[in-house]
Amino acid sequence: MTTEYTTRMGDGQRIFMTREQILADLKEGMADATDLGEIPDLSEDELDKLVDIIAMPARMVGVEPGKEVPVTHDIGTIRIDGDQGNSGVGIPSSRLVGVMMHERAFGADTMELGHIDYSYKPVKPVISNEQQTMEVCQQNTIVPLLYGAMPNLGLYYTPDGPFENPGDLMKAFKIDEARASIEGAAKHATRDITWIMQKMMASGADGINFDTIGAAGDGDMFASLHAIEALRKEFPDIYIEAGMAGELTLGLHGDLQYDGKVLAGMWPHQQAEVVSKAGANIFGPVVNTNTSRSAAWNLGRAVTFVKAAVKASSIPCHVNMGMGVGGIPMFETPTIDAVSRASKAMVEVAGVDGI
Amino acid sequence: MSKEEMFKELADAVISCKKDAVDAAVEKARSEGIEPAEIIEKGLAAGMNEVGIMFERGKLFLPHVMLAAGAMESGVTILEADMPKDTASKKLGVIVNGTVEGDVHDIGKSIVSTMLQSAGFEVHDIGRDVPLQDFIDKIKETNADMVGLSALMTTTLPGQKAVIEMLKEQGLRDNIKVMVGGAPATENWAKKIGADCYAENASEAVAKAKELLV
Repeated sequence: MTTEYTTRMGDGQRIFMTREQILADLKEGMADATDLGEIPDLSEDELDKLVDIIAMPARMVGVEPGKEVPVTHDIGTIRIDGDQGNSGVGIPSSRLVGVMMHERAFGADTMELGHIDYSYKPVKPVISNEQQTMEVCQQNTIVPLLYGAMPNLGLYYTPDGPFENPGDLMKAFKIDEARASIEGAAKHATRDITWIMQKMMASGADGINFDTIGAAGDGDMFASLHAIEALRKEFPDIYIEAGMAGELTLGLHGDLQYDGKVLAGMWPHQQAEVVSKAGANIFGPVVNTNTSRSAAWNLGRAVTFVKAAVKASSIPCHVNMGMGVGGIPMFETPTIDAVSRASKAMVEVAGVDGI
Repeated sequence: MSKEEMFKELADAVISCKKDAVDAAVEKARSEGIEPAEIIEKGLAAGMNEVGIMFERGKLFLPHVMLAAGAMESGVTILEADMPKDTASKKLGVIVNGTVEGDVHDIGKSIVSTMLQSAGFEVHDIGRDVPLQDFIDKIKETNADMVGLSALMTTTLPGQKAVIEMLKEQGLRDNIKVMVGGAPATENWAKKIGADCYAENASEAVAKAKELLV
């Protein structure tokens, strides 16, 4: 009887597959990435290595000695306290305690301070509170502490902001108006992010994390790249981490360019180039998980995309790994077997510099 | 020019997203005596299908999809004169689409609405953070064939289940298809709550809506 190994579906369901089935799904996932991104296949050796990682008998796996990479956390400061079913564990604690726990107990190499709303725009009215918290955290820790949130261009459209919703305009065939709305929103977002970081840098922040660039499409990315550029110019030593929202930059505008390159339709290896050009220190590629496919399919796809990004990037790549990204199943608390296997694969096969 | 070449010219005109090119290709096909239904099905609709594929592959973007849909609509309008009344402008189905209460995510749901609309469905996008009763009210008002329920957070996902329960309570469930989507939704979740389908992305939403309604 052929040996079957325990693995997962993209929604976290436990399934059993033979080595041959795992390899077939890895190849299929890889083929999807190479076809879409027009990037190279993984080698036979790399595919075999991925099969070995998935088929490892231990529930939790780790990288080989000497291959350890830096690990940072995004909204981790409020993950301890968070109690809304959003991955938080609901232990009453301040954001300072959250930072200190990650620094001193969990081994985080860098940390981020973030507000519960977790978008830049709503930080404006509470900037003094955020500055004070940053200062107190900096006085009590030595871990590099970034300020982070989502660029979230969606908050600049009605009913949350001054610009008409491009989705509504588009449905009414008002294409030019939709594009003008996106361009206006992007200018506001760039201005806000830059202003917020001027304040946070004055309070001792070590840098900024752009979390989920492109979540609201190419305008979101356009705003973020211009904010990165402005911040690099004003603060030459600022540490800028630019993490994406997905493997494909959605074209809600379609014609926005940065450095002469159309942003819509960019895949991770192309995103890396413009992010680096804008002045970021770290690129955070993201590949979303398809819940209807196996973990092997998703991992083959994610590793192929990320490997190409690592190769193309002139700055270090810290891949996003977590619920529903990086080949990890979409599940509220992703299982450690899937998280550790996908992370090991990203380090040892895709060659990422950090997570 | 053979019929196949003519169909290709029509499809290419739609893919070019140019209304003038579509109008010219439609007039040319008419003058060659091709049936309006064939012009639409094998030419214009085939072009729109290709546009959908290119959108999914990151080669064309939302504005292009809308421009192509507008161009196709213009071509269909020209053909209406040659078609039996009521058949030309017939929509593929009526769909109510929205993001459930408590969830302010809008963009993914809007893309799905736009793609469904451009594929030929009559779409009533009722927005985001929609009170659950509003879905029921809109379904009744529009006599909808399908409702799309989006949720982007694990905390709002139960809203999808609640709407299905409300449809059952009000005796509407047998007459409407339910599609669910959004980052935390999955195929298994759709089965568990008794939805008719789950769509991973906008292109899949169109394909599944056609599968269920056309």
